[in-house]
Amino acid sequence: MPHAGTMSSHATTHPGHAAPHEDHHHDPGFIRKYVFSTDHKMIGLQYGITAMCFLAFGFYLMMVMRWSIAYPHQPLPEWMSWIFTDGWKARWLQDGKVTGETYNMFGAMHGTIMVFLGIVPLGFGAFGNYVTPLQIGAPDMAFPRLNMASYWVYLLGGLVMCTSFFMESGAAKSGWTNYSPLAGFADGQVVNPWLAGQTQWLIGLVLLITSSLLGSVNFITTIINLRARGMTWMRMPFFVWSMLVTGFLLLLAFPPLEAAGIMQLADRVFHSSFFMPSGLFTKSEGLADLSGGGSPLLFQHLFWFLGHPEVYVLLLPAFACVAEIIPVNTRKPLWGYKSMVYSVLVLGFLSFIVWAHHMYMTGMGAAVSTFFQTTTVLISVPSVVIITAMLISLWGGSIRFTPPMMWACAFIPMFGIGGLTGLPLAFNLADLHLHDTYYVIGHFHYVVAPGILFGLFAGVLHWYPKITGRYMSGWLNHLHFWPSLVCMNLIFFPMLLQGMAGFHRRWYNGGDAYLSKAADSTNVFGNTVAQHIDMNILMSMGAWTLALAQIPFIINLFVSWKTGKKVESDNPWNATTLEWATPTPPGHGNFTFDPAVYRGPYEYSRPDSVQDYIPQWETPKKSKPDH
Amino acid sequence: MEIPYIVTPRKDTGLFNSKIAIWLFLASEVMLFGGFFSAYVFLRIGADYPWPERTLPVLPGLINTFILIGSSVTVVFAWASLKMRQWRRFQFFMTVTIACAAIFMVLKGLEYNVKFHHQAVRLPDYTVIEGHLGYEKEKGKEVLDHHGRKIEENRILIEASGLTFSTVRFHTPWVEELLSQAAHRNAKITLAEDVSAITREGQAVGILAKAGEPLSPALLERLQEAHLEARSHNGALRTAALREKWTAAKAENPGKRGWQIASGVNIDATALEPKLLTEIGTVAFKVDPPARMNFKPRDVREGDTQSRLRDDTVIDGKLLASPMVFHNVDAIDFRHLAMKAVEKGQDPMAAIENSWLINNHAFAREAWEWNKAEVAKLEKTLIATYKVDPKTGKPNREPTAKERYRIGWKEFAKKAEDAGRPKLGFWGRISEEFKGPNYAARGEETFPHLSLPREQIGFSSKFTPAWNTYYAIYFTITGLHGLHVIGGALVLAYYLFFGRKMYESNPEWLANRVEIGGLFWHFVDLVWIFAFPIFYLM
Repeated sequence: MPHAGTMSSHATTHPGHAAPHEDHHHDPGFIRKYVFSTDHKMIGLQYGITAMCFLAFGFYLMMVMRWSIAYPHQPLPEWMSWIFTDGWKARWLQDGKVTGETYNMFGAMHGTIMVFLGIVPLGFGAFGNYVTPLQIGAPDMAFPRLNMASYWVYLLGGLVMCTSFFMESGAAKSGWTNYSPLAGFADGQVVNPWLAGQTQWLIGLVLLITSSLLGSVNFITTIINLRARGMTWMRMPFFVWSMLVTGFLLLLAFPPLEAAGIMQLADRVFHSSFFMPSGLFTKSEGLADLSGGGSPLLFQHLFWFLGHPEVYVLLLPAFACVAEIIPVNTRKPLWGYKSMVYSVLVLGFLSFIVWAHHMYMTGMGAAVSTFFQTTTVLISVPSVVIITAMLISLWGGSIRFTPPMMWACAFIPMFGIGGLTGLPLAFNLADLHLHDTYYVIGHFHYVVAPGILFGLFAGVLHWYPKITGRYMSGWLNHLHFWPSLVCMNLIFFPMLLQGMAGFHRRWYNGGDAYLSKAADSTNVFGNTVAQHIDMNILMSMGAWTLALAQIPFIINLFVSWKTGKKVESDNPWNATTLEWATPTPPGHGNFTFDPAVYRGPYEYSRPDSVQDYIPQWETPKKSKPDH
Repeated sequence: MEIPYIVTPRKDTGLFNSKIAIWLFLASEVMLFGGFFSAYVFLRIGADYPWPERTLPVLPGLINTFILIGSSVTVVFAWASLKMRQWRRFQFFMTVTIACAAIFMVLKGLEYNVKFHHQAVRLPDYTVIEGHLGYEKEKGKEVLDHHGRKIEENRILIEASGLTFSTVRFHTPWVEELLSQAAHRNAKITLAEDVSAITREGQAVGILAKAGEPLSPALLERLQEAHLEARSHNGALRTAALREKWTAAKAENPGKRGWQIASGVNIDATALEPKLLTEIGTVAFKVDPPARMNFKPRDVREGDTQSRLRDDTVIDGKLLASPMVFHNVDAIDFRHLAMKAVEKGQDPMAAIENSWLINNHAFAREAWEWNKAEVAKLEKTLIATYKVDPKTGKPNREPTAKERYRIGWKEFAKKAEDAGRPKLGFWGRISEEFKGPNYAARGEETFPHLSLPREQIGFSSKFTPAWNTYYAIYFTITGLHGLHVIGGALVLAYYLFFGRKMYESNPEWLANRVEIGGLFWHFVDLVWIFAFPIFYLM
């Protein structure tokens, strides 16, 4: 039967295929429906909203840090500090100025919140939860209650971490990497070590890992066992493949960090010496009252064994969203679908053997460094295959610049810059110079902020009509998109320049302390700092403007829910994948018919077809589904 | 809505959902324990102290190994019984499985308990002494702390005459402990002088607390509140003042960058002075009459006349002799000392004989001489058994470092028995394998008394994760394994006690669940199979 774009979906035209249990007829009650929901779509939304709140909070911490970098001698302006109580300000600010300690705290928590509480839950938790079961034609996740538990454990972990801001010790201050022995000693003055921010960080982390473990087991099981009839492996949308690989990364890479977290917890509260070498001497404590004999390097190994796959846990959901949006909006199959699938599998595997490229400076030895340098160069191959395939997918397409497509198109070059600036860091020799400078910050922020976040914004705009039945506003999107694109580059490009000039990533005053050396013309470094320090102001302005640019998005997100333009059909983008075969919004149990799949995920503009797309679920005239 | 493949396997994958899930979960568990086992390897290879080889009692570990393997078998029988729809048989085998888990945990608990009550100390010359500490006594009665617990004779003793608390950082349980100790000595802790402060802008100085007021957490909390309020108020004032200065400075220096004018922008302290409230950072009390107080070594940084607790409480008073008193020494270990001597290119035997312990305590010298004779005997036996290599002229087997340099409790016991002390019976010796040396039965002649002056304590700890990285990784892996045993047993117990209903409605589903639980149980067993040799045998 024909499927013209404006027609209602298969679902509504075939009432005879209704699912056996019509649960959505009896109302489960507000609490069960919106709070302790076991529906993957509601859990996805919970993840999404919570993650966006954490992202906003992490962003705010960064705005305060950027003030300290740009104007280290001036008190925080009132528009930034109104959120604190006077007591908190008196404890953590010096005459209204950000202190080094506070900067470290904000820096550590900015990183932690953005990575563990923001992007991963948004990409994997929210999009993965909402879209994956729909795309494979499943009624829900394989373990709905486990799914709910996963969300609540995540929220608990996040709250445990964030409440430490209000403790005597403040929140964690040892960077998001939490290296020992620094992190082992941090907050050592607190009598009850369980009540120190640094310990709370570890407890929060263990909870988050538990959450991601529950989530990943659930995802992988769902993808393996709950695919609809005919949904063979190579008919799965790239999105689902990405989620599968992400699930495996979470499943296998997080536990070693959990081990490290537990050992560091033991170091902190039971005074063990897992990561404490012999003869540690600190200014405040003197010779540490510890047995010693431990290995700080061990912590780094365990941390980065997670840390690197984590990068791909962040990245793959963004790849996934963009890979779905490009074919829909170019009306053209995804170029090289199979190569992309194989690439993402290779990427997942390789990401487990590149971790020590974060550790070239630890003196772990030339042979080890060389090995990791080689694997790191290797892993750029599958990433480049994927990004190139996306780029080539645009070639010759008649591109519809819908709001999601704008973000997807911006994703490609922005992620490209992020990826390519990583190459110098992969090499030992170049890394000697660039390690721990703003270059590194610029590099991974290009990947994460204008890269991954743009991909996720694209995803929000793309699936919003399915979730709410309304489009998000196009002109508000313009107000959001263009300033964001400009500001992102304004913030992160100067970082690359500053980094090459030697700006260290942890200067809380933006290099101000080195200016006294600038007067001495023989002091090369002082002069270099003086030449680059004014960039700080430009970058900070960019960051604050970026905050303003997010306001249209927030308005768009909430206002369009009630007032946006209504979708004309269940498949407003004329897409081919199964999520668009559901009613809008999908009810509990998702499909109103028994979904079956007859073809690959990206059948656009086939010469043998009148309409420019053939949905996966559309019954072919002759052939039958596989089984 | 119904989730498919809960009970029956999907055709093309051949698996039901939870079977996939449990294998995935176990993969993740492998990575978790993999992390710990790699840590073990890393720590052992990198250890800069003699790794405690074969230090745990093998017997309880071995029994636990068999118990756990046995339970892995019975859990399979339980599952098979369900498959055959034999509920009674299932009940029987599941009960046995859970009972095995319980026995395992009891033995583990005994093993842990011995260690938590066993003291170790490393001297500055790296001699290691192990044993059992005594408790503080007065007039023949044990002194208790404010929780009613006995106090070990390993405390820093100070004749305290004054206490100065930090108003923001004081730790309430410690304040209570100080009060209880003072009461025990019939001393009073009272405010040394009036605490006067300006508590509101423009007001005159008022008295918040009068000299002589007794110490109490409530009093400190009251002063803390006043302090925090003043700090907030003053902070806000200073911030506003600095902001004003910056606005003016920027207007005066148009076009200049902040860092170019920063040195000239400062708060005018004298102008601000009249508006500020009094911050009460510390508050001093006196102890009358000065009383002997004891503190845990980790909580206090001691000085001759002034010491400081970790919550920034300053204690004025003379430091008293604070020895660590062993009621029973049950091991002397010179391995670390010997290792350090070899590192320095010295003769380890000479270093041992020059050590502080041997030169100051006759029992140590005696034990050492006895041990030397034993080692000589052992060397002869080894040559007799394994012969001498004809090429090098060296024996094929030599005593290990442990045999040479460590005099453990079994050696102490043997030495005493050689000297005519009565031997323990078979069950007495078996019991020692589980509970450690029996001091009461073997007496102080076997395990002597030792009072160790504070300056001879390099590092000390119970046999907890703090003692060294070996015990740290031992407790972490076995502790986590124990938690897995408990968790697994709870799940299996749930099937046993609450499975009947499901058995009647959908027995296959219950069988699936038990299969999943059983797979987990096998994994728990497997972890132990790795943990047992690396901690007990290697």
